[in-house]
Amino acid sequence: MTKERIPLRPIDTTPPLRNLDRICDMESGRLSGKVFWDDEIYQQELEKIFARCWLFVAHESQLPNAGDYLTTSMGEDEVLVVRQKDRSIRVMLNACPHRGNKVCFSEAGNARGFICNYHGWSFGADGGRLMGMHESKCYEESGFDKSQHGLRQARVDSYKGLVFATFSDEAPSLEEYLGPMTWYLDVVLDMDGEGSEFFGGCIRSTIECNWKVAAENFVGDILHGGWTHDSAARAMLGSAVANVSDMPESYSVNWNGHGYEFGTDVVGNAATLGEKNINKYLHTIRPRVAEHLGEFRSKLIGAISSATIFPNFSYLPGQNTVRIWQPRGPHKIELYTWTIVNKSAPEEIKDMWRKGCMMTFSPTGVFEMDDGENWEYCTKTSRGLVTRYQDLYVGLGMHTRIDDSELPGNVFRGQINECNSRAFYQRWKDLLEAPTWADVPDRNGRMR
Amino acid sequence: MAACADGGGDVMAESNLMQGNERMAVLDERARKAEAFLLREARLLDDERWDDWLAILSPDIHYWMPGIENRRREDRLGTYSEKHMAYFDDRLRDIERRVARFRQPSAWAENPPTRNVHLISNIEVFEGECSGELLVYSCFMNLRSRGLDEQHQLVGRRVDVLRWEDGRLRLLRRKVLIPNAMLLCKNINTFL
Amino acid sequence: MSIIWLCREEQLAPGEKLKVANAEVGDICVYNLDGVFYATTDLCTHATASLAEGDIEDNLITCPVHWGQFHIPSGKAVTFPCERHLRTYRVSVRDGEVYADVSAEAREAEKIECVQI
Repeated sequence: MTKERIPLRPIDTTPPLRNLDRICDMESGRLSGKVFWDDEIYQQELEKIFARCWLFVAHESQLPNAGDYLTTSMGEDEVLVVRQKDRSIRVMLNACPHRGNKVCFSEAGNARGFICNYHGWSFGADGGRLMGMHESKCYEESGFDKSQHGLRQARVDSYKGLVFATFSDEAPSLEEYLGPMTWYLDVVLDMDGEGSEFFGGCIRSTIECNWKVAAENFVGDILHGGWTHDSAARAMLGSAVANVSDMPESYSVNWNGHGYEFGTDVVGNAATLGEKNINKYLHTIRPRVAEHLGEFRSKLIGAISSATIFPNFSYLPGQNTVRIWQPRGPHKIELYTWTIVNKSAPEEIKDMWRKGCMMTFSPTGVFEMDDGENWEYCTKTSRGLVTRYQDLYVGLGMHTRIDDSELPGNVFRGQINECNSRAFYQRWKDLLEAPTWADVPDRNGRMR
Repeated sequence: MAACADGGGDVMAESNLMQGNERMAVLDERARKAEAFLLREARLLDDERWDDWLAILSPDIHYWMPGIENRRREDRLGTYSEKHMAYFDDRLRDIERRVARFRQPSAWAENPPTRNVHLISNIEVFEGECSGELLVYSCFMNLRSRGLDEQHQLVGRRVDVLRWEDGRLRLLRRKVLIPNAMLLCKNINTFL
Repeated sequence: MSIIWLCREEQLAPGEKLKVANAEVGDICVYNLDGVFYATTDLCTHATASLAEGDIEDNLITCPVHWGQFHIPSGKAVTFPCERHLRTYRVSVRDGEVYADVSAEAREAEKIECVQI
């Protein structure tokens, strides 16, 4: 007989901050640097965004066998992600419910379970069940009931290999959370019907910037590409980045704060890797993609584009970099970078992507070098009190919404457009202002 | 001897490095030349003398700095792997592209310049796998400063294969290992 | 001689183990190692754990709680944190039925130096 578990202590909810309108007004496209600097705002983000939203934790390909685990974090909460014998994946706090010590110190591996170094509390890989501890007799003598203790579990769900988790019981389903963005995610996760995988491990680095600066850069800022990355484009392509605004057909789409800006040029992003064989590969498989996803999406497989799934998961089709911006205080992130490839791709193509991803978007990547510099100083200038209240303009592309588009989501004309940034910050503000998930307004169809 | 000619092979794999320890130490004039090579290289990098630096690289160079993974001792995957992500996994073409970026007037993050100091120490020179090659161990400390207050420090070990080409030593292979499983700064905008 | 019945032979396939309750000596764990049956106390000598819930690898039983290991035929503690050997019982099989003599150690156990309290 298993006794009913004592309910977990609810996470304290503090009152929403007031006057957020004054620092984040997306109706008029005005933002204040205070959102990148303020510690009070950051604490609210941990509570109202990172403890409530669905957060990316792993790709299923990282955990092929039962007992395979990896460690990551959800906001600042450290978690264990573990493949179960029944093939499901569990996500649990990586903190012992005895004195709170971290129970697993390695980034990945395979284990029967996890034993805390401090007092030998032992947890099964099967969902963090407390198995026993050192000197267990003494606990039993004091009437200890081990079935009441274990590693706190998160809700877990996945979409085509991407595993997400949330510590909120009231969050909508992952399906509802992602909404029509899955239609666009398919372009990288499942372009030929055979799925995708992470290839070659993870690189981690630290950037002294606010997490939103990075997430917003990927949610819908191709504008910076031609200017910020001029040096990298010349180095890799031998010439400047083409003017994105000259491209005949491009869009920005968003939903619930997620966003994707994209051209229809098939290989514009991929070309920056400077590997002819990758372009060739994409052109070769494109007819198969057209069969599987339709002609329109087959034009996106390596096109000039970028995306963020709210709040902090981003990727670039073509360069095939996938990353998460882990918040570490208002002025710092840890950046985890992976390479995603088609499962069906030839091994040498996968390896070319691994190298190309590192050559372009990684701490040594020729593109990322200029990003990191910008992001750090977008954050650091807000140290100045007057600077913090200077208006930041996020108004590009107002009134470009395409109301009769056949594409899913909120669709806007042109990828040089700050509509996705506005949707991102609007969602950010809506979550900070909402005492519960039920209070989060639905802005889909109404964003400008 | 194909592995000696093309710059590939796994001369720097752990198992071979162990043999490297047992290999004959080079204590003659060649050791002083190898040391002088590394010290000059550090100065070329600090002074951004890119053409001179590229000239000491073999056309067959493999320049490798694997990402470090924080795994348990019993995990057979180990601390790094050839198949995994690397900060650098470069041939000459890739290195030339990185240098090409440094040279662009639009390399915004390099103007004002990053100021570098490369310190080189713990140099040990051994006979190489093939004749005309030297296996050279060294440690480095790289200190970069940008702006007024930015300072980033990287420390690590290197294993190099130097080869005599046309009467001059050139860098044929380099493996760079740092102890950090997470880079504690935003980038590595130099060579190590 | 104090013989008790443990199980039927076909109940336990090679590589399997089974917990058998016994009021007199406490729970017993029965193992089938490639057709040869062994029995030990079921309780780990380190902390509260049923060895029957552990995994068998190469004649070793791994405790499910702290992953210490015992050599099944001899009861010898071989891996940290297990330091005290397991009590073993001498097993016999007759007519497809498995029995243990709870007054005798396994023959293999007699060969090891006893450090038990």
